[in-house]
This record gives sequence, structure tokens and C-alpha cells, in this order.
Amino acid sequence: MNSVTQALSTSLRTTVSNIRANKQTFLISVMTIAISIGILGVFLIVFFNLNALLTSWSQHVQLVVYLDDDISPSLKNELEDMFKSNAKIQSMEEVSKERAWKEFKLNQRNNDGFEMDLGFNPLPASYEIRFKSSNNGSSLISEFAEQVRIKQGVESVEYGEKWISRFEQFMVVCRVFLLGVGGLLSLGLILIISNTIRLSIYSRQDEIELMLLIGATPSFVKIPFLLEGILQGLAGSLVSLGFMGAIYTYLKDVFQPSMESIARGLDLQFISQPFLLILVGISMLIGFIASYISTYQYMHVLNKK
Amino acid sequence: MIQLFNVIKNYGSGKPALDDVSLKIEKGEFVFLTGPSGAGKTTILKILFGWEHFEEGQVLVQGINVGKLEPKNIHTLRRSMGVIFQDYKLLPNKTVFENVAFAQEVTNRDRKKIKFKTWEALKNVGLTPKKDSFPPQLSGGEQQRVAIARAMVNTPPIILADEPTGNLDQEISIEILKLFEEINQNGATIIFATHSQEILRPGKHRVIVLNRGKVVSS
Repeated sequence: MNSVTQALSTSLRTTVSNIRANKQTFLISVMTIAISIGILGVFLIVFFNLNALLTSWSQHVQLVVYLDDDISPSLKNELEDMFKSNAKIQSMEEVSKERAWKEFKLNQRNNDGFEMDLGFNPLPASYEIRFKSSNNGSSLISEFAEQVRIKQGVESVEYGEKWISRFEQFMVVCRVFLLGVGGLLSLGLILIISNTIRLSIYSRQDEIELMLLIGATPSFVKIPFLLEGILQGLAGSLVSLGFMGAIYTYLKDVFQPSMESIARGLDLQFISQPFLLILVGISMLIGFIASYISTYQYMHVLNKK
Repeated sequence: MIQLFNVIKNYGSGKPALDDVSLKIEKGEFVFLTGPSGAGKTTILKILFGWEHFEEGQVLVQGINVGKLEPKNIHTLRRSMGVIFQDYKLLPNKTVFENVAFAQEVTNRDRKKIKFKTWEALKNVGLTPKKDSFPPQLSGGEQQRVAIARAMVNTPPIILADEPTGNLDQEISIEILKLFEEINQNGATIIFATHSQEILRPGKHRVIVLNRGKVVSS
């Protein structure tokens, strides 16, 4: 066995022995991490589902292009060619002035019970355009709408941009909120884990001093505590994600049908795989930083003697 | 091998713990450090193994300038010496064998070698039958022999002993002294701090007398 493997195996054995000696504090710390990661995870799940809802709604948005009454047939053909040549467009339907007026009158009669007769048709002809599914649907539609809006013969373009942009702004607020909560929870976790590691250090103070007296390097002393912090982070995040996974599976079984009725084809989302790995990584990093702070402070005090 | 030049050490207000101490100890020497409580015996030892800083002077141990040693490199100094304390400083939750092996584990020695050297060290202090016992199950003399085995297991060239017989009766103290003499005969330099007149009486070794932080006779 070479010296690096030997050092690593000794460090691991010391870490396990540290954890055994302070089982209760280790478990309390793991549970605190699990709860904090759980809070962050719940926010992430809500965020992912809102995001999925936004994407799903964006996919069902249709763009209505209203035409000037005096649009020439050549301009109309030009517009149609533009729609047909766009690969992102799924379907396009022309609604003539007459059809629009007829449908409007029919709706009016069904709703209010009287027939409207103005003596002229105030409604414009239009094109109703549907887009193929894509993840950046809303930005695609808004880009395309701007291109169409400036075309000659186009009176106006509508696609519900106001509520889409409001929802997108809300998602930005959600992101900022998530970052804020994540930052605060991380700070809290660093304090908690660093205190747990400090307790672990003090409970083994005699052993540490003896190690240093008989020629241990500072890293030989520090590494087991750093590993302990990293393990706390790992265990805490795994417990939390396991628990959330179980709750998600249960909720999905119960609420999936009602979700589908709210948003057709929408699947209840869990935290995506890259974010799961990021959460575990962040949790381990927090454990490492916290234990580094404690061991650094302790060694610093010893060196000042 | 070990030299102190005009070393001054203060613990705060009052008289210095070491006041302009200069000493020279040759390789392979057996030296007693003696004097009343508070004379500075333990302080000298702590400075030698880099546990305490000092304000003035210079300390050289095997060519290492102790005062200029970075904290991250202090282990190189400590690995050149074995340290024995009056209160043994054994780990109560480790067996005799594990306590002795521990001194080698921190230096990342190969596991097979650790077993062999530990066994040998325990044989030298006559404690192989007690290898699986825990320190609280041993007598004071036995615990001190474990501490000696731990100090010598890495065969360091210097052994520092701080009142190693302070908690032991006279008969056991003489036995412990004999162990140190054996280690010295194998080539190690021994600095043995004691205030026991019984230990000093045979007069076989050099005695450095300290009083109130000063060297009275050397």
C-alpha cells in the first residue's frame, strides 16, 4: 500500500471513529442539513412545476394576425408565404372578414339572445397561427410577432403577450427568491455544521494534541474532520432527497389526474437530475467549508501557543 | 545536537519562565534537568518539541532552528524525538498495542511494519502480555512503560521525558530509569526532567540545575 492510500485509509478510519464517538451530534447535524435541503428542494420543485406550466401554456398560445381592410392580394400572398416558410409554425388558418363577423354574431346570439346588425362589418380578416411545441415557445412567438407586426397590410398582432410576460417576470422573482433562500440556508448550515465539527474536535482534543506531539502533520489531523463535514453534507442531502422523492411519488399518484385537467399533458415535475447533483454537491461543499473553518480555527489557536 | 542560546520565555506578567538560558547537549548524552517546581524544566522541554514559542534567543535541535520553524513543518522536528509525560498521555479507548501503533500511524508507516515495530517496542518494555489491555486496566508503572514504548517505537534520536517517574514509587522509578538507560545505550540522547533526589543520587549522568528560569549549574 503506498503512502497516499495508507494516509487516506487512516483518515477514513479516524473519520468513522469520530462519527461513532459523536453519533448523536452527527445525526442532529445530518437531520438539520436534511431539513434545510428539504426546504430548498420544495422551493425547487414548485419552481420546476411553475416553469413546466409556463412552457405548457406557451405551447398552446396562438398568434392572431389582423389584416388591414384594404390589404392587396399580393401583400396577402407575401404574408402567407412568410408563414408557410417558417418551420416552427404548425398550422395556419385564414379567417375572412365575413367569417369573423358571422362567428361573432353567432356568439353574441348564444350569449345575449339578440342579433346584432350594424349595417356594416367592423371586424378585420385575420390569420390564426399555431406553433410547434418547443421549450422556448414564448420567446419564439414574441420574436415572430415583432417580425409580422411591421409588415405592410398588418393591422395588429395578438398572442396574450401581457400575461406571458407577467408570468415570466414572476418566474424571475421566483429565481431571485430561490437564490436568496438558498444563500441564507447555506449560511445557516455552515454555522451549524461548523459547530458540530467543533464539538467533535473538542471531544477529541487530547487525541489531537497527542497526534501533533508525536509528529502528525496538520493535514493528517485536519483531513478526518473535513471528511466528517463532507459526509454530513452528503448524508443530509441524500436523506432529504430520498424523503422528498417518496413524497413526490405519493403526490404524483394522488394529484396527477387533477394536474392534467388544469394543464393538458403536464406531468408533475421532480427536481431535474442536474439540479439533484448540484444540491448534493452544494451540501457536501457546505460541509467541507464548515469543517474547514472549525479545524482552521482550532489549529490556529494551537499554533499561537 | 541540542543548543539553547540566551533563551527568554515569558508567560505573561511577572518573572520570565526562562531567563537567558543557554545550554548544550551532545549527541548520545543522558542529561537530567532538575530544579524545584516552576524552575523551567517543562518549559525547556516544550520549547524543544515546538509546543511553546519563546520571545528571545535561539534553539537548535539537530541543526533545525526551532524558532524559525513554520507551524506546517513542525512535525519534522517532532518526528526526531519521542516525548514522555508524567501523566503518560495514553488514549484510554485504545489498547496498549494500539497506543504504541498510533505513534507510527501518524507518520504513515506501512501497516506490516507498524505491527512488527509495535511488537518489538512492547517486548523491549516487557509488556507483550498486556498488549490487549486498555490503559485504565494497568498500573502507573505499566502505563509509563507503554508511554516509553510509544516514544521509542519510531527509534527517534532524542527522547524528552517530563517527570516520567513523578507518579511512581521508588522501586518502579528505578526500573523506568533503567529502561531509559537502555535506550540511551542504543544511541538515543535523553533529556530527563525530574526533581526526585533518588533518581539523581547515583550520579552517573550530567545534571543541569534550574532555578526560577535560570541555569544554576550545568
